[in-house]
Amino acid sequence: MLSIRGLRARIGDNEVLKGIDLDIQAGEVHAIMGPNGSGKSTLGKVLAGHPSFEVTGGEVLFEGKNLFEMAADERARAGIFLGFQHPIEVPGVSNASFIRLAYNKKAEADGREELDPLEFDDFIREKLIEVKMDPSLLDRSLNEGFSGGEKKRNEILQMAALEPKLAILDELDSGLDIDALRVLGEAVNRQMKPERALLLITHFPRLLETIQPHQIHVLFNGRIVKRGGKELALELEERGYDWLKTEDAAPLSPVGRA
Amino acid sequence: MAALTECCLLSELLAAPRPAEWEVLRRSAEARLQAQELPTLKDEDWKYTDLKALRETAFTPGVSAEVGIAENILPEAVGTRLVFVNGHFAPRLSNTSALPPGVRMLPLATASAAAVSLGALATPESSDIFANLNHARFTDGAYLFVPKNVRVEAPLHVLFLSHQEGAAATCSLPRLLVVLERGAQAQIVEEYLGRGQYLTNAVVEVHLHENANLTHERVQRESKDAIHITTLAARVDRGARYVSRTLSLGARLSRQTPKVRMAEEGAELELHGLALLDQDQVADTHSLIDHLVPHCSSRQLHKTIVDGRSRGIFNGKIFVHPGAQQTDAQQQARSLLLSEHARVDAKPELEIYADDVKCAHGAAIGQLDPEELFYLQSRGLNLETARNLLTYGFAAELLAAIPVLSLRRQLRRAVMARTNASELEVLA
Ligand SMILES: Nc1ncnc2c1ncn2[C@@H]1O[C@H](COP(=O)(O)OP(=O)(O)O)[C@@H](O)[C@H]1O
Ligand SMILES: [Mg+2]
Repeated sequence: MLSIRGLRARIGDNEVLKGIDLDIQAGEVHAIMGPNGSGKSTLGKVLAGHPSFEVTGGEVLFEGKNLFEMAADERARAGIFLGFQHPIEVPGVSNASFIRLAYNKKAEADGREELDPLEFDDFIREKLIEVKMDPSLLDRSLNEGFSGGEKKRNEILQMAALEPKLAILDELDSGLDIDALRVLGEAVNRQMKPERALLLITHFPRLLETIQPHQIHVLFNGRIVKRGGKELALELEERGYDWLKTEDAAPLSPVGRA
Repeated sequence: MAALTECCLLSELLAAPRPAEWEVLRRSAEARLQAQELPTLKDEDWKYTDLKALRETAFTPGVSAEVGIAENILPEAVGTRLVFVNGHFAPRLSNTSALPPGVRMLPLATASAAAVSLGALATPESSDIFANLNHARFTDGAYLFVPKNVRVEAPLHVLFLSHQEGAAATCSLPRLLVVLERGAQAQIVEEYLGRGQYLTNAVVEVHLHENANLTHERVQRESKDAIHITTLAARVDRGARYVSRTLSLGARLSRQTPKVRMAEEGAELELHGLALLDQDQVADTHSLIDHLVPHCSSRQLHKTIVDGRSRGIFNGKIFVHPGAQQTDAQQQARSLLLSEHARVDAKPELEIYADDVKCAHGAAIGQLDPEELFYLQSRGLNLETARNLLTYGFAAELLAAIPVLSLRRQLRRAVMARTNASELEVLA
């Protein structure tokens, strides 16, 4: 589904991604782990098409198409979803109307039926239950004044509504207590289908107890320095990231599973 | 009288006979006018707002006209509505059948005995040339009075319509006097609309007695060929609360000069404004919040959106007098520039002569936030839709608190249309 080869990207003079290789197949769950500042969020933003980051090398194919020829909104309509580490507050725009608009843009692109406000109301209420979100948050302005946990619920609500092929979830666990994390983790798990894939970004292994990844990639200083199965999360939990700094930091090939 | 020779507006209006009633107010205003001139760009208070269009147009006093108001009826206010057309009371368009006992909502021309305090807040001594012109020659206006401890549920809707008949530009001098007695509570919608080329030069006075509570929506949706000038003078007494929102959407040139006196302890004020401008529109707000006594609080948020070649001006003065300790005054001016040819001049002016106060102000002028744009794009909205939505959101933030549902919807729709965000319309 997604194939990343030699991806380099920078912001200003700062080269943040220094050659990333990564393959994700339909039905798979992958996790990017790594210490703060290693470039995890940058990878998510570059894949989603953030205009502030300049891609300086490599290529990314999404379902065989060159991702860098698509603007951020085209990528979204093609099925890429980025759950933000820090979701943005947009005063004055109602949460419900925003999600409906996003839903209809995607439906239009997919050639599916658009939903009128009443139909959408039924549709979104079901999803609300999935993520156990307070219905009153639908009538508020998008993310405005939401707690950290409410913002994350709202991200997963949007994911549930948009049903992306590839969801990239950046630090879903930040701002969530254990119970909320389990609720959202299970909601994400229920959405996983053989034709969909997931890229989790986190620096805490806790999330990976609920959503179990097929493969973990450790990002350090803009490079993937280690790959492994889900047992790698336990090792990172015990040992932290420091030991990796001394290991060979040469980029690993995408097939080279540790 | 320099002003009179220079400006046909003034000479024409003052040549007309002095209307009946309020003789003292009118004479005193006329005396003041002798020494007042039409401002020019050299006046500090007018340095960004050119009155050329006013000077060059011949305005004739408006006469009553037949107009329809179907689109402007607020269902919540079907029986609490006063309508004026070209400054004249329109009895057939008005309906005050649902007023609670003791509450008065009357044309001033028939209320001169009751409306004794007219001109007590906007005094001729404190008035500029425009307010004095209104004092001297206004023909009618609205008088709203809510007695002690009465709470009016239905919003009181005052509609000032202008309608250019024939070729000559018209002029009207509307007036609004609001008095809430001790503990009274009300919502007022003051609205200006019209068609054609005309001048609206209004004076609004609001007196909230002890513990009174008023929310006051002020909607300026004049024609794009109109000039709109309003003087607002308000006084907030002990423990009273005044919430005022001024929305400037129309007029080629508009000027708002709200002056609020925090006159007794514990008074609270929210004085907000939104100007949504495009093409060659100019909207100027010069506000003054006067903290005279201790323990009062004021909040002011002024938002300006400029597109095309339009221009927004905000000068927000907060004056904290000696002894007005424990004043809590906050002011925010936020502006959005949508075009490189548009311009905003925003200036806070804090004068503080007390030492134990909490005063803060901020002014931000900018473009749309790229992080917000990216967030919306990452959900599949194209750049243009994302821009329109954020622009709408910037404006709509101020509409969210409007308690009159039908008005809130109406204004949201108007703002959506102006920001091309009507894709959201169905959920407004
Ligand atoms: N908008 C930005 N401007 C400048 N530098 C940035 C920006 N975003 C990220 N960076 C830099 O890129 C590096 C990686 O950041 P990030 O991708 O957020 O890391 P992580 O998500 O792994 O904590 C950091 O050194 C950070 O300072
Ligand atoms: Mg991050």
